[in-house]
Amino acid sequence: MPTSVLIADDSEFMRNLLREILEGEFEIVGEAENGVEAVDLYGEHAPDIVMMDIVMPIRNGIEATTEITEEHPDASVIMCTSVGQEEKMKAAIKAGAEGYITKPFQKPNVLEAINDVVPA
Amino acid sequence: MYVDIQSLGEFSDLASQGADRAADALGQLAGANVYVDVTDVTLMAAGDLHESFAGREFVGVEIGLQGGISGQTVLAFELDAAESLVERLMPGGGDGEFVRSGVTEAGNIMTSGFIDGWADHLGVGIDMTPPAYVRASGTDILPDGVFDDDRQGVFMFESQVSSMDEDLEFAIYMLPEYAGFTDMLGHDGPVGEAGDAVPVNKLPTFNRMTEQGAASAADNITMMTGTETDVDVSRLRFVPVQDVPAELGTETVAGTVFELHGDPSGYLAILFDEASAEEVAGGMIPTETEPGIGDMEKGALRELGNIMTSGFIDGWANVLGTSIEHTPPQFVHDMGSAVMSPLVTRLGQTQDHAFIIDSTVRTPDGNVRCDIYALPDQRELAAALDRIEPPATDGGLPR
Repeated sequence: MPTSVLIADDSEFMRNLLREILEGEFEIVGEAENGVEAVDLYGEHAPDIVMMDIVMPIRNGIEATTEITEEHPDASVIMCTSVGQEEKMKAAIKAGAEGYITKPFQKPNVLEAINDVVPA
Repeated sequence: MYVDIQSLGEFSDLASQGADRAADALGQLAGANVYVDVTDVTLMAAGDLHESFAGREFVGVEIGLQGGISGQTVLAFELDAAESLVERLMPGGGDGEFVRSGVTEAGNIMTSGFIDGWADHLGVGIDMTPPAYVRASGTDILPDGVFDDDRQGVFMFESQVSSMDEDLEFAIYMLPEYAGFTDMLGHDGPVGEAGDAVPVNKLPTFNRMTEQGAASAADNITMMTGTETDVDVSRLRFVPVQDVPAELGTETVAGTVFELHGDPSGYLAILFDEASAEEVAGGMIPTETEPGIGDMEKGALRELGNIMTSGFIDGWANVLGTSIEHTPPQFVHDMGSAVMSPLVTRLGQTQDHAFIIDSTVRTPDGNVRCDIYALPDQRELAAALDRIEPPATDGGLPR
């Protein structure tokens, strides 16, 4: 069974790009446009991996990650964001993120990050 | 309120590094060879921004900042550059919403690259709001809050980014919230020795003074050539010394340069593009001459520069309460960056960053353009500004 992935990003362009990278090798179980949707979709699908943006409306990615990992300690979240601030990286790790990749990224960066968290 | 020049220099360097990261991000996204031309800090009254942005159409991304720095960042593409970017990101295009999403995300990624360095330098987190797509003319591209008080000072970090491959050019304008930024860099009184800090509340007055000097120089052109001219833009920027030549680009210019002696000392360059130089010199020479810039034209431009310089610096000297002398004019005819390099080399022996006071004089039809660049000694200018009377409630000298 392929690894299942939830994509959470407020940018349609970026969701599209991630989908193109992941489709075929992974099962995309849902796409969220904000942190609230990400939490809801996680509860619905319990994906193996969440690709989580940080800067999103309504609820940001760090808050959503905290909520997901508190409710589901086994959840695997990879931050996938344009933000490269050290403080934010620390906050993401504290929230329970297991990986962190910064945009813009190439396909190998994404696959490597996923492989680090969920080895093939 | 005083802003420490060393801190301003550090933030200028951070902005420059941030712009490099933003350009790298764009290069990766768009598959283009992108580089930063120059990054500078403009200090001006908010009301003066209108002239800098007038008549330009932009597509951009606006992001609000909270935390370590408050304010707004706008990343703006000229309209044709945005179209090039879209073609690069989404060959063949897409529907309007998807295109906007692509431009917005590209702006978001570049802006993050810009902000990250500031956050890490300050050792704080800077929260960013989700990016908002904006398309607007002139200063409408800038956040509304900037114009809450037109007399309020503005720190505008501006980076010009270009591509070697095609006409993909854009600017990053970062406008930190004035009060918060000056609180972070500022002091209530002078720090260190005289000239170590800039009294920012006096900058609007200084800008008015520079505008009046440029207006006087424009009047001189009109009187001597019969060509009606007016001041288009006048602003005070803070730039790493080594970046000053790049500000002038590779276009060939003709004009005069002067060394200033007094308080402040420094350099002044009065430069025309070649066509403008010929037209202006032609207006001063009563007889028909060969096309090009010959000895007659050089002499005319020297004389014009001499008179314009006096008109320009007399206002400074009067307001600053000092005496400023200038050397005889030295004629220059070369690429703009090559004209500026020797001046900068000398200035760079004593300072890492430079204030550039930059005024553009144009004819209404745009056929004649003259750029006046003043490069005062940084410490002497700061010390001289300190002696200006505090701005009046109307923001300083009459507009």
